[in-house]
Amino acid sequence: MDLRSSIAAQNYAASRPATAARPAPDESGGLERLAQDFARTLEQGERTALAAMSGGADPHALVQALAQTELAVETAVTVRNKVVEAYQEILRMPV
Amino acid sequence: MNEFSGTFAISASGMKAQAERIRFLSENIANADTPGYRRKTAGFEAEMRGGKPTGLVVIGPPKLDQRPLERVYDPGHPLADESGYYDGSNVDLVVEIADAREAQRSYEANLRMFDQARQMSQSLLQLLRR
Repeated sequence: MDLRSSIAAQNYAASRPATAARPAPDESGGLERLAQDFARTLEQGERTALAAMSGGADPHALVQALAQTELAVETAVTVRNKVVEAYQEILRMPV
Repeated sequence: MNEFSGTFAISASGMKAQAERIRFLSENIANADTPGYRRKTAGFEAEMRGGKPTGLVVIGPPKLDQRPLERVYDPGHPLADESGYYDGSNVDLVVEIADAREAQRSYEANLRMFDQARQMSQSLLQLLRR
């Protein structure tokens, strides 16, 4: 009797970690890096545009930088819209 | 989006290379009557970084065409020798025009690739919009 209860207690103790919340993966670093990447792309586009206006860069570099900036801004805006949409969906949830 | 960025960079390098090529061609045509001028050809090279090709194309140093220069008969010319001939340039206008047309077509091909990559990225993002 005593033996069985101690085994049950051991089993319970062993299964506890399985139900504990897993530590969240470090997402802040990834998001931060993404934002920095985005900012750098924007900055490079601006710098190239400035250089092209003053005759420093060739037009191909300008078009390439602007196309990359366009792509980055579109991606950011689309993802933001999706996030806002999901948040509003949660807010509309009847409780 | 890294692949699309890479496509943009590669297409832009191709367009830049063709633009440089057409600059050499215009140089050749402008100097078609220059005595002793040898036609320049653009040397296309794959860009290497750290011993590996990056996929980009660059224009190396121009190569001089080693065909013999055209002998022009004009005894009144200040450069003419005793026989009345002097060395002209070895530029053939027909070859230059054909080369220029080829450069134009290659430029258009790179432009299409650029536009295609842009359209692909935009239609990918379109999926998230609805």
